[in-house]
Amino acid sequence: MPSLISPSERDYILKGIECNIRADGRQRPDYREVILETGVISQTSGSARVRLAGGTDVLVSVKADIGPVLVDPETGEGADKGQIICNVECAPSASQQFEGRGADELNNELTQMMTRFLSHNTTTLSTPSSTTPSSTGAPNNNGAGGINLSKLCIIPGEQCWILYVDALVLDYGGNLVDAVFMGTRAAIFDTRIPKTEVQDLGDGNFDFEVLDDAEDTEVVEGREDMPICITLNKIGARHIVDASPLEELCTEAKLVVAVNRSGELCGLQKGQDGGIEPSLLLEMIQFGKTLGQTLIKQLDAKIKAEAEADTIKRQNGQPVVKLGFFAQ
Amino acid sequence: MNVSFHSPAPRTAISGSKAHRQSKQHGLEDMELDGDHEDGANGSGVKASTLHVVTPGEVITNDTAFMRGHGTYIENEKVVSSVAGVVDRVNKLISVRPLHTRYTGEIGDVVVGRITEVAQKRWKVDVSARQDAILMLSSINLPGGVQRRKQESDELQMRSFFMEGDLVVAEVQAFFGDGAYSLHTRSLKYGKLRNGTFISVPPALVQRCKSHFHSLACGVDVILGLNGYIWVSAHVPQNLDEIDTELVYSNKNKEDITPRDRESIARVGNCIRALADEFIFINDTIISFAYEASLQYKLKDMNKKEIMHAIATEATTAVDNMKG
Repeated sequence: MPSLISPSERDYILKGIECNIRADGRQRPDYREVILETGVISQTSGSARVRLAGGTDVLVSVKADIGPVLVDPETGEGADKGQIICNVECAPSASQQFEGRGADELNNELTQMMTRFLSHNTTTLSTPSSTTPSSTGAPNNNGAGGINLSKLCIIPGEQCWILYVDALVLDYGGNLVDAVFMGTRAAIFDTRIPKTEVQDLGDGNFDFEVLDDAEDTEVVEGREDMPICITLNKIGARHIVDASPLEELCTEAKLVVAVNRSGELCGLQKGQDGGIEPSLLLEMIQFGKTLGQTLIKQLDAKIKAEAEADTIKRQNGQPVVKLGFFAQ
Repeated sequence: MNVSFHSPAPRTAISGSKAHRQSKQHGLEDMELDGDHEDGANGSGVKASTLHVVTPGEVITNDTAFMRGHGTYIENEKVVSSVAGVVDRVNKLISVRPLHTRYTGEIGDVVVGRITEVAQKRWKVDVSARQDAILMLSSINLPGGVQRRKQESDELQMRSFFMEGDLVVAEVQAFFGDGAYSLHTRSLKYGKLRNGTFISVPPALVQRCKSHFHSLACGVDVILGLNGYIWVSAHVPQNLDEIDTELVYSNKNKEDITPRDRESIARVGNCIRALADEFIFINDTIISFAYEASLQYKLKDMNKKEIMHAIATEATTAVDNMKG
C-alpha cells in the first residue's frame, strides 16, 4: 500500500479516468477478476477467501456459538434475537502501514461498517437516517442487514446463536470494502448451524440440546437478503469502481453503497474529505445499486456452483479438496 | 460493467525453454540433509530432485557438520531457516534461497525510486531495498545545468526539485557504511519521471543489461529499474541536446498524450504484469513480443488470468524461436 503519489502520476490517472482508460486498461465501471473459494477453514461454521487480481486478499470466517441473548435495558428489545458480531482485522503482512497500531483506525472503520450493515436492527448502532428498511420481504424483523436474527434465537430471553464474523485482510491491493463484503456473503452462504432441540421442563424452564449430526444443520435464514458493498471513488468529475491502491490515493471522495439483491439501498457511507455534488451523489447511488445487483447475481451463481460441486463430490464419496493457500 | 468470478487454480508452468525462467535446479540432485548422511543411509530426509521448501524457523538439519550460509542461523546446534525459500546445498554449506527478496544493489545500477522524505541536504528514496536509499543534494543537477556548489538557498528549496511522492530514476553511486545506497541523478538521462504509470515487479526479474531505457516500437518508453520498479510512459524524444534543462524538475505532464498513447501504455503495463506473474525475466525484447501477442486481445480483457497466461506463453515461445 503506497502512501505517496507524485503530482504527475496523479495527473496521469485523473486524465486517464477522464477519457475512460485507466492505468491498467480497465474502463471506469470495470472490476478486476475475483477469485473466490468457500469452505477453506474446516474449524469454522463457514468460511471464504476472496482475492482481487491486483492483490487484495481477504479471509472471512463465520463461527456459530451459543451465548446469552442481549437485551436492551431500556426498550427490552432483543430478548428473542440472536446476534452477529463482526470484526475486521488488517494483518500487518498486508501492508507496511498496518504495522503496529497503524491499522487500528481502518480496522475500526471496517468493523463498524460491517456491524451496521449486517446487524442493523440490533438497537445499539441503528442510524435510521443512513438506511432505508427493506420494503419487500415478509416480516420486517430482518432489517437492512437481511439476516433473520429471530431465527438465531434458541430460548427467548436466555440463549441464542451468536454468529462471529471475522474478516482478516491478508494482502492489500485496493478496494478492501467490496472484497470484505463479498467474502462475508460467501462465508455466510457456506455457514451451517447445527439444529437444536428445545425441551420444556415446566415452570417456565427450558433446556436444549445441540444435535451432533453433521447432516442435521440449518443455513442462515435471510442470507439471500444480505447486502454487499460497492465502493465508488470520485476522481475528478468522474467515479470509478474497484480502485487500485494508486487510484485510491487520487480519490477525492469515496462512497460505499450497500445494496441487496433486489437493488435496495441498505446503507451508505462517505469517506475521505472531498465533497460530492448532490446530482453526482444521486447518480453514484443509482449506479451503485444497479452494479451491486449484477454483482450479487454473479457472486451468488458462483457460490451456488461451488456448493453444488461440493455436494456432488460428497454424494459420490469423493473427498472435497480445497486448494486454500496452495493456489494462485 | 465487467466482473467475473473464478475458483483458485494451481499454477500451470509455461512449457518450453527454461532459459529465461527462474528455475535454477542445480545442487538438488544429491540433497540428503538427514542426520545420517555420512554413512549414506537412506533417511527420512529430502529425496533427490525434490525441492526442499522451508519456512522461517524451520529446522533444516540438526547435524553439526553443516555450515550455515545465507538465509539460515544456528540455534541449539541446529541449522534453522530465517527466510521462506528453497534449501540450497554446496558440500557442507547450507543456504536458503528466499522466494521473495528485496533489492540488493551494485554500483552503477539504474534504479527507479520514490522520494519518501526530505531531510538535511538529502532525500530518502524508497528503492524496495532493505533500507531507503539516499540522494544527496550534491548529487543532483541544478535546473538549467548550472555548475556550482550547492548553497543554503538550494537547501531551502529542495522541495522544488523533489517532493515526497515524486518518482525518480537514478543511478547507484556508492554505498554508505550502514549498507544504504547513495544515488545520483547527475545526467540528463536521470531525474524526475512524468507522463506515465508505475509498475512494481519482483526485483529478481529485472536483469542487468546494457541499457535500462527503452523506446518500444509502439511509441512507449520503458525504464526498467533494477530494483523491480518499472516506469512506462509516453514517448518523449530522447535527444540529450534538446532537453530543456529548465524543465527537468517540472511536475507537468506533456499535453498531447492521446487516448491511443494511453492505451499503448496500459497495454505495455499489462504485458509486464503478465510476464511478472509467470516469473519471466523482463527485458525490452520480451516486452515487445508480449505486446505483439497482446494485440489480438481487447485491452480490458488483458486483466484476465488466462489471457495473461496466453500472452506470456506466446512471448516466451517467440523469444525461443528468435534464439533458434
